[in-house]
Amino acid sequence: MKRKGAAAVQSAANVLVAAFSVLCIFPIVWVMYSSLKDQQAFTLDIVALPTSLHFENYAKAFWDGHLNRYLANSLFVSAVSVVLTILIGFVTGYFLSRFSFRGRNVLYTMFLFGMLVPVYGLLVPLFIEYRNLHLLDHRLSLVLPDVAFALPLVIFLIESFLKSVPIEMEEAAYVDGANLGSTLARIVLPMCRPVLSTCIIISFLNIWNEFPFALVLINSQNLKTVPVGLTNFVGQYTVNYPQLMAGITVSILPVIIVYLCLYKRVIQGMVAGAVKG
Amino acid sequence: MGKRLQSPGWMTIYGFLLPGIVLYLFVVVVPLILSIHFSFFRWSGGLSKDFIGWDNYSHLMQDGKFWNSFRNNMIITVLSIVGQLGIAFVLAVILQAKWVRLREFHRTVLFLPVVLPAVVVGFIWNLIYSQNYGILNGMLQGLHLGSWIRPWLDDPKIVIYSVTVPIVWQWIGLYLIIFMASIQSIPAEIYESAEIDGATGFRKVVSITLPMMYDTLKVAVMLCIAGNMKIFDNIFVMTGGGPGNSSTVMAQYAYNTSFGKFQLGYGSAISIGMIILSLALILLSRRLMGGRSVEA
Repeated sequence: MKRKGAAAVQSAANVLVAAFSVLCIFPIVWVMYSSLKDQQAFTLDIVALPTSLHFENYAKAFWDGHLNRYLANSLFVSAVSVVLTILIGFVTGYFLSRFSFRGRNVLYTMFLFGMLVPVYGLLVPLFIEYRNLHLLDHRLSLVLPDVAFALPLVIFLIESFLKSVPIEMEEAAYVDGANLGSTLARIVLPMCRPVLSTCIIISFLNIWNEFPFALVLINSQNLKTVPVGLTNFVGQYTVNYPQLMAGITVSILPVIIVYLCLYKRVIQGMVAGAVKG
Repeated sequence: MGKRLQSPGWMTIYGFLLPGIVLYLFVVVVPLILSIHFSFFRWSGGLSKDFIGWDNYSHLMQDGKFWNSFRNNMIITVLSIVGQLGIAFVLAVILQAKWVRLREFHRTVLFLPVVLPAVVVGFIWNLIYSQNYGILNGMLQGLHLGSWIRPWLDDPKIVIYSVTVPIVWQWIGLYLIIFMASIQSIPAEIYESAEIDGATGFRKVVSITLPMMYDTLKVAVMLCIAGNMKIFDNIFVMTGGGPGNSSTVMAQYAYNTSFGKFQLGYGSAISIGMIILSLALILLSRRLMGGRSVEA
């Protein structure tokens, strides 16, 4: 009798978890397959699978909706920002973990504070600063805030990773007369490869998804990134749902592909980042 | 911290650190100081900029719209703590059991929304809530619950709950993973000895898992507070804070004031108010729950 009860609880629990998984994935999958319907088929039955595939929704999203341009801009900004974030974060993290020097704790606290301060409070002043310095609406406008906001997490991930790495290798290099720069590049950088890949993925995701600063600092159509461009796109096609869904699908596909290929790293990095903050 | 390398001299150190420091000063520290400066002026972005002392702040203290937006942040925070953490806890406990199927699959799927842009989450939920073509209303119709259909995002009474659901939906996965890691670190012997004493599944969760996870739960609550103080993107695309101000959060109010009405002085004061309130809440929650004793 008791056995039976336990089995019932177990299957109920299995069903519950499965229900939540469906709840998480279904809206995304629904958007993806509905994006291949035409308007008529969609309004007829909103959950039915498409009977004929309308890839022209994608062609339209790309060319008429300018998503091709938004994607290119996002790729450019993300690539530049991620490279800079990793370079600066790596060097800063290294110095913070390996040397004690005057001002170290002040710097450490400053970067930590950056993880706590709600970045949205910086929206207005950064806009004013940018306007006064004529930095608004430039191909590289978003790089500075993107790098600055991604930086603390990278610094702390690298700093705490290096704590677990013995310093003897570097000491030996210095004794052999290697200078700081080449030790960093030839010895420390290769050792940090696992944590660096986590850093790259997490900063890419955060930078790709960044919205409020892209909204405020960029004005011209030609320079908008995907999240902001998408709001324009949605404004244009409010009535044509499948068209809208094609746009949404295009803009999340890069993120989903990165996630599905590297989900272990993504999960581990995001959790580490969240808990650190 | 352990052993440190011999210092190569502060000139070299600061030479290497310079890019990070300069960038950080430029993007975070200087704007913060500017913001404090502007908050003492009446300024709409043009040449005329009047120093008005503390007027913006005394106005802010009495500004019903600002406190309403803070209230909305708080409502979302409380609902998220209950919803996200509650659901994540239950799922984490179940997923830790030996008999659960497709554990890796569930974990991966439940975490997926976390990596999506909040803007897109907003758009997807706009589609779900849509009057005629949304899945929510479609499902209610199918279940013969047509009378439950509401204008989900247009009814000022319920809109704040409607915009909270996507936030809960998006972040369950993060807490799930945090909780699962924490449950895994509970030594199996504790459960075994409890089983010998005759404890059943539910009893084990309440008297072992929950207390052993106390530190993790504290961290999760703090994360939840910090995260929900900076809610903006998805509400911006779902309702823009409307109808009226019924779903306006602090960041949205600062945005509207600064970029809608172009009151940059007052907008700066709102930003400062928002930063102070958020930091105060974060620090308060840390203090109340026993400080930064927890490192994951």
